[in-house]
Amino acid sequence: MKQAGSKNIFSFKYRLQRLKRDSNKWAILTLLILFLIVLPIVSIGVKLFSGPGETWSHIVDNLLLDYIGNSLFLIFACGAIVLLFGVSTAWLVARFEFPLRKQMEWLLILPLAIPGYIVAYAYAGIFDYGGTLQLILKAAGLPFVRFDIMNKSGLAFVLGISLFPYVYVSSRAFFLNQANNLMEASEMLGVGPVKTFFKLMLPMARPAIIAGLILVLMEVLNDYGAAKYFGVNTFTTGIFRSWFSLEEPETAVYLSALLIVIVFSLILLEKFQRRKLRFNSNRDNNMRLNRKQLSSKMQFVILLVVLLPVLLGFLLPVAQLIYWATLTYENVFNLYFLTISVQSFGIALLTAFVSVIIAVILIFFSKWSRLGFIKNIAKLGILGYAIPGAVVAIGIMIPTIFIDRWLIDIMDYLFNVDMGLILTGTLVALIYAYVVRFLAVAYNPIESTALKVSNAIPDSSNMLGVGNLRTFFKIEFPLIRTGIASAFILVFVDVLKELPLTLILKPFHVNTLAVKAYEYASDEMVMEAAIPSLFIIVTVMLPVIFLNRLLIK
Amino acid sequence: MKKVIFLIALVAFSACKNDNKKTGTSSDGEENVVNVYTHRHYAADQVLFKQFEETTRIKVNVINASADELIQKMSIEGAQSPADVLITVDAGRLTRAKDQNLLQPIESDILNRIIAPHLKDPENYWFGLTKRARIIAYAKNRVDSSDLSTYEDLASDKWKGRILIRSSENIYNQSLLASLIVNNGEDEARKWTESIVENMARSPKGNDRDQVKAVVGGEGDIAIVNTYYIGNMLNSENPEEVKAAEAVGIFFPNQNGRGAHINVSGAGVARYAPNKENAIKFIEFLISKQAQEVFANSNYEYPVNPIVKPAPLLQQWGEFKEDSLTLSKLGEFNKKAVLIFDEAGWK
Repeated sequence: MKQAGSKNIFSFKYRLQRLKRDSNKWAILTLLILFLIVLPIVSIGVKLFSGPGETWSHIVDNLLLDYIGNSLFLIFACGAIVLLFGVSTAWLVARFEFPLRKQMEWLLILPLAIPGYIVAYAYAGIFDYGGTLQLILKAAGLPFVRFDIMNKSGLAFVLGISLFPYVYVSSRAFFLNQANNLMEASEMLGVGPVKTFFKLMLPMARPAIIAGLILVLMEVLNDYGAAKYFGVNTFTTGIFRSWFSLEEPETAVYLSALLIVIVFSLILLEKFQRRKLRFNSNRDNNMRLNRKQLSSKMQFVILLVVLLPVLLGFLLPVAQLIYWATLTYENVFNLYFLTISVQSFGIALLTAFVSVIIAVILIFFSKWSRLGFIKNIAKLGILGYAIPGAVVAIGIMIPTIFIDRWLIDIMDYLFNVDMGLILTGTLVALIYAYVVRFLAVAYNPIESTALKVSNAIPDSSNMLGVGNLRTFFKIEFPLIRTGIASAFILVFVDVLKELPLTLILKPFHVNTLAVKAYEYASDEMVMEAAIPSLFIIVTVMLPVIFLNRLLIK
Repeated sequence: MKKVIFLIALVAFSACKNDNKKTGTSSDGEENVVNVYTHRHYAADQVLFKQFEETTRIKVNVINASADELIQKMSIEGAQSPADVLITVDAGRLTRAKDQNLLQPIESDILNRIIAPHLKDPENYWFGLTKRARIIAYAKNRVDSSDLSTYEDLASDKWKGRILIRSSENIYNQSLLASLIVNNGEDEARKWTESIVENMARSPKGNDRDQVKAVVGGEGDIAIVNTYYIGNMLNSENPEEVKAAEAVGIFFPNQNGRGAHINVSGAGVARYAPNKENAIKFIEFLISKQAQEVFANSNYEYPVNPIVKPAPLLQQWGEFKEDSLTLSKLGEFNKKAVLIFDEAGWK
């Protein structure tokens, strides 16, 4: 018999009551947005219940080991490369004064501007038979030593060198804003710079570094073009193979699910490791930064160290592209590219804007909602990044077509008019898909800066009777501005070079530079793809330079 | 910041507005259009689309993507699909589209008269536009062409460590194996595949052009590639590619038997084509002498229209006997081929 007044906190009824009490508008809005983002992924995931398809055992017997082995290799090898280049350059650029530092700051972001598969083609072109290296060696009278880059290690190198800026951008934001007071404290206590870096800065910067690293790893697992060209079997090539060559979407979904499991275990592993450490050191983060002045010899060494990844990830591939462009200029170039550039630019800008807003909403609304579980599931929004673009595209089409058909039926029933598809094949569906795909890119940098804003400020603001929204715009927004700027740049760059999803969902009349580059490359006209690729790079450069200013101010 | 937001809103607004206007009119059905989903991205195709627009006043709207993705797109779009014509670069994908109920048969005297029976669907669901042969490119200085004979012969021990061929991911390889399954039976085809894997000079990577370059670089002695890639390399802007293509000889296999394996790039009318008449006109145009000449001379493919001669370069290679296997069979055995590739460890 129940005693009056006491409540069983485990009872369903109590939980429901609590749910009702804590559900505020923020919680509901978060769930609504999350629903829209997760919907396409779920509509694919539903296929999981229809069984794995008859070739699943074929895949397990013949291919799965290879997929797992190669994907794990890429995770570790690329992880090592991006950490090495990303963190070291971020630290040097943030803390030391050296010649050309200002230029290096944005040059270091630019490797992201070249689509991964184009970098792969460029490197293959350099080391090819009859490639640039051979021509140079021949001109210098040296014997040609063939260096085969088209293998697993080569792939890890190419992907690593073109993706390290994710880590660079996120860790630099930390070093710029956070590190100063701690640095000074550490040095006043007589700890050397090397020890300070490894013992203090690196562990402190960990959330920021990991945020970038996770983006890199998701992108690596997602790569299709470069892996296919280099002949390396990965999960993503497997997903394409089983979906299209074996005609079994169910099997592809199983592989995608496994991929998602891998990505999520990585995220959880990191969360688990980090849970003991909680950093909240936002005090004094408006302290003026003073960069160290070293001897000019040391400055030169730093310049070289910073230059190396820029050289490998940007200057070399771009040089190869420019060389190809000079060969094919007459056949390929026309003014239509300018129109396409403007279209690509507009679409990327719009998507970046929408993604950033949604990321901010997810992060802050879930914070304001009092339901604990919302904070955890808000993270689901970033799932789209782990799924190959082509799969996301298909996932988008399932619900949008469904809504379209429903609207068509209603209009037909009510007004007897046939109005055709409204969402499918329009810019709306395309941008929706981009947001689903790239939300992680906006989410991670914003979250890592938002984590550093201690709750004390907004809490006191709340207590003084200021609402959440106003507090956000007056206090939190300025504090997380750098995170938002990074998010904006990264999404913008990603959309500009996005391919498989754009191919499937782009409306008639709309064209992007990446699509143009792909049209040539897929016909083995790699040299002809150089000019649209260079257009992508130029289009990316302008906002990167502009936003970089915003970032370091 | 306000300015930035305003700017973005402006761009966004104008982009949306622009788009609505365009799609609004094109989906009307009143305007004269044909919507083409194509896997072909050649410059020549764009020239042809322009010509078609000029002569018929029918506007050509194009979506470019790989055939697999286009088929997937059409199947999700279902009855609302705006697609009128599907163009792919292999017969296998067209057969797949037919099997998935995405195409419709069309009656056209012109198409039936001009296109040879094995180059189209027996029930007129799709029609070949251009042919390409999968041939052997050999190092002129290391291989005597009299040593070459058939695809089957490549499985013999004398080619150990000498064969270059790209990944089994590639549809042309899948179609080649499908043709071997049809011609020689599954067991023989499996043995053949295993032996080819043994005979490979390196693990498969790169595209067809890379295989030719690797022959010249000495990594292997023969490469299995499509004809038009050699044609394109010989006419490349890059002198090194020209040099590489010049260093290899072209050999059409199985000339004393069934003939060299060919594939077609082809087109079919979509099942729910909103502009069916235009779609038929469009395909008929692509088969016309005028259009076939453009195909033949720009991408080094063989025309399907017999009155059109191939490009001078291809004429130099001489006429060859082609396998007259009904190409729809390639689609039927495509999946089997992929399974055999995987089991044999052909990456």
